[in-house]
Amino acid sequence: MQLAIENVTKRYRKGVVALREFSLDLKPGVLGLLGPNGAGKTTLMSILATITRATEGRVLWNDTDVARDPDVLRSVLGYLPQDFGVYPNLNAVEFLEYLAAVKGLDGAAARRRIDELLDLVNLADVRKRPLGGYSGGMRQRVGIAQALLNDPELLIVDEPTAGLDPEERVRFRNLLSDLSGERIVILSTHIVSDVEATATDIALIAQGTLVAHATPENLLKSVEGKVWEWVVLSADLTALKQKFLISSTTRRSDGVHVRVLGEEPPTNAQPVSPNLEDAYLFCLSRHRAGARAGAAA
Amino acid sequence: MNGSRTLYHMVRADFLERVRRYSFLLTMGFAIYLGYAVYARQVTLRLDDYRGVDNSAWLGTVVGLIATVWVTLIGFYIVKNSIQRDRRTRVGQILAATPMNKSFYTLGKTLSNFAVLAVMVLILALAAVLIQILRGEETQIALGALLSPILLLGLPAVAVVAALAVLFESLPVLRGGVGNVFYFFFWTGLISVSVTLVTGTQQPTGLHALQDFTGIAVVMGQMQTQLRQLDPQVSNAASFGFGNFHSTTKTFLWTGIRWTPALLFGRALWLAVTGALALLAAVFFDRFDPARNGLRLGRKQKSAANLDVLDTRFSVVAPALPSVFHLTPLLRDAPNRQTRARFFSLIVAEFRLLFRGHGWWWYAAAAGLFLGCLLSPVGAARSGVLVAAWIWPVLFWSQMGTREESFSTGSLIFSAPRAVPRQLFAMYTAGVLLAALTGGGLALRLLFAADFSALAAWGAGVLFIPAMALALGVTTGSRKPFEAVYTAWWYVGPLHHIRQLDFMGTTAQSSTPVGYFAAAALLVLAAYMWRSVRQAYA
Repeated sequence: MQLAIENVTKRYRKGVVALREFSLDLKPGVLGLLGPNGAGKTTLMSILATITRATEGRVLWNDTDVARDPDVLRSVLGYLPQDFGVYPNLNAVEFLEYLAAVKGLDGAAARRRIDELLDLVNLADVRKRPLGGYSGGMRQRVGIAQALLNDPELLIVDEPTAGLDPEERVRFRNLLSDLSGERIVILSTHIVSDVEATATDIALIAQGTLVAHATPENLLKSVEGKVWEWVVLSADLTALKQKFLISSTTRRSDGVHVRVLGEEPPTNAQPVSPNLEDAYLFCLSRHRAGARAGAAA
Repeated sequence: MNGSRTLYHMVRADFLERVRRYSFLLTMGFAIYLGYAVYARQVTLRLDDYRGVDNSAWLGTVVGLIATVWVTLIGFYIVKNSIQRDRRTRVGQILAATPMNKSFYTLGKTLSNFAVLAVMVLILALAAVLIQILRGEETQIALGALLSPILLLGLPAVAVVAALAVLFESLPVLRGGVGNVFYFFFWTGLISVSVTLVTGTQQPTGLHALQDFTGIAVVMGQMQTQLRQLDPQVSNAASFGFGNFHSTTKTFLWTGIRWTPALLFGRALWLAVTGALALLAAVFFDRFDPARNGLRLGRKQKSAANLDVLDTRFSVVAPALPSVFHLTPLLRDAPNRQTRARFFSLIVAEFRLLFRGHGWWWYAAAAGLFLGCLLSPVGAARSGVLVAAWIWPVLFWSQMGTREESFSTGSLIFSAPRAVPRQLFAMYTAGVLLAALTGGGLALRLLFAADFSALAAWGAGVLFIPAMALALGVTTGSRKPFEAVYTAWWYVGPLHHIRQLDFMGTTAQSSTPVGYFAAAALLVLAAYMWRSVRQAYA
């Protein structure tokens, strides 16, 4: 089972380039796709989900070019888009039965699967209620259930925990981890803690290019010795923000505890263990600096 | 910010949002086509055997009548989406959280609708000038004579339509397809009342002007008076509309409508009606309150929904989550598990989807019509009951091809294998089944009577109606075009048994099944090709 993204470029009308010669090889596990707004994550997801075509480059599923034979991938694909709708007059069972039919699933197997999935996403009690009466989080859980309908080998989930309450978020993270053994899961999110909890690999994407692709451990190693904590006065905070790359601030009784990222420690700052958020910010900042230097040259 | 400024910005934003959409080009295209239709004499106004010399007064009057007759029909469907757009884009929720006054909102939407329709009327006015120059029968352009019928007949009429569209959108029962179908009959009623006044001896003035929505009674009354001075033998026969079936042989010089204070008051009354309708809409407007915009739940569903409130509360304190989830794996090695066409189950799913959201009364009436087809005399069943049976499901057919767009489910559906051909043809089959079921009583009768030519006409209708729904739905993404076009076509063709237009074959004389079999095939093909082109991987 292998998904290869080879030099994929996506150019929209009016010349907007959302992805630039993007390459990535994926094997079973959870890939956390991280990046700022407008980085090209959703475009990449749409290309992988066969919703839109790459302008250049190719996507290979087990060595088959997806552009030539999209059904090879579609038959094993589970896709949860960032923004999707439901039919408000159908209940969850009817909606999932409909999508199971669209996906070409056997009726009996689909019904059993739907029962299990509704239990899994904690919607069994409201299974007969019209979807139009569901909250945003409940609809999102229906979306998660439909993505798992066909027992996908490739599961693509775009901002899956948006709108979920903390309990459901934990439940979904556990589910992703549990599912990842025999399949490729691509998880796109802004929520670094979701990636921290589930990802076996992380891809950082910015301005349509791949900034980093590594295991969480290696990504953390790359910023070891570059994260510092410093206690400062509230009044000095604004000036510090101009000077240093700050990943977080916490107000305590002795002042503001500031996490600073950088090669050189500020005076009196103490080294601390990096977390994924630090690594994410550091990589992005280095990429932007590189892009600025490239533009200046 | 004062009220007028708020109103101005509401109208401005709404108007700009509309005119920057591609669909506005279609609106303008329609207005330009109407202008062309006048130039090509496809739209004719005739009195007995006369038409007017193409001067400013005549062309202004014709264009004014086009605005009151045709723009008021098509324009309604063009502008009846302004509140819906705010609902869909969720801008409405932002507006609802502001101190916005409901009356201001509906008034603003009315003015914005009016602005769009007024642009259409303006294009027609420009077309009138152009036509006069091109025809050259009278070279002097008299702006007053040209513009006064357009401004005083056309604009008040489209203003009423602008407000009606807002009122329909504010009333839950008329917001959707029911409103689209109902408006056609309402418009037919308005036009009919106007037309009946044409033969009257007195012009409708004062409050009686409210009977003459189009102003056609005023125009025809004055024209006939003027014409009789030239030709006392002229009859009262008059017509205005599409088609050039009986070309006129004589011309007369029309000097324009004499606008008396009573006539002006009559037209001003329609502006007052516009204001009243806009304010009435505010009474029903739900201010995007989801509680008032809820689904109509059956008793069983309501009780389930109430229970769910409790269930949701309990789910918050649910026990610890299982550490291992169990999902029965689907058999990967089953022969052609994914590729085997489970077309039948998809048809069933599409068929069930068609029926969602309608009450028991719909099924009761459909069953009554089925029985009516089965039990009434064959002639009456064919020319009467079947016609009713096949207008009844119009709101079901109009969903076809539009759901993926209107409910944003396209990304879920079109990422499935071979979704475009499978789902499209399953949807079409479901539509055909619906037609066959609702009109099935007649088919049984014809089968037993071995009347195969009538059965062929019935079959053409069964295939053609959902094909038209599918093609219009897929290409426009909206239910409105089918609801409007089908209702108008149904009214003109099958209801009046007009040959060529009678797609149901309601009489032996009006039946032309071969053409409709071919049209059905072409429409389905067009829908498939359109959707294939729109989907990157179809």
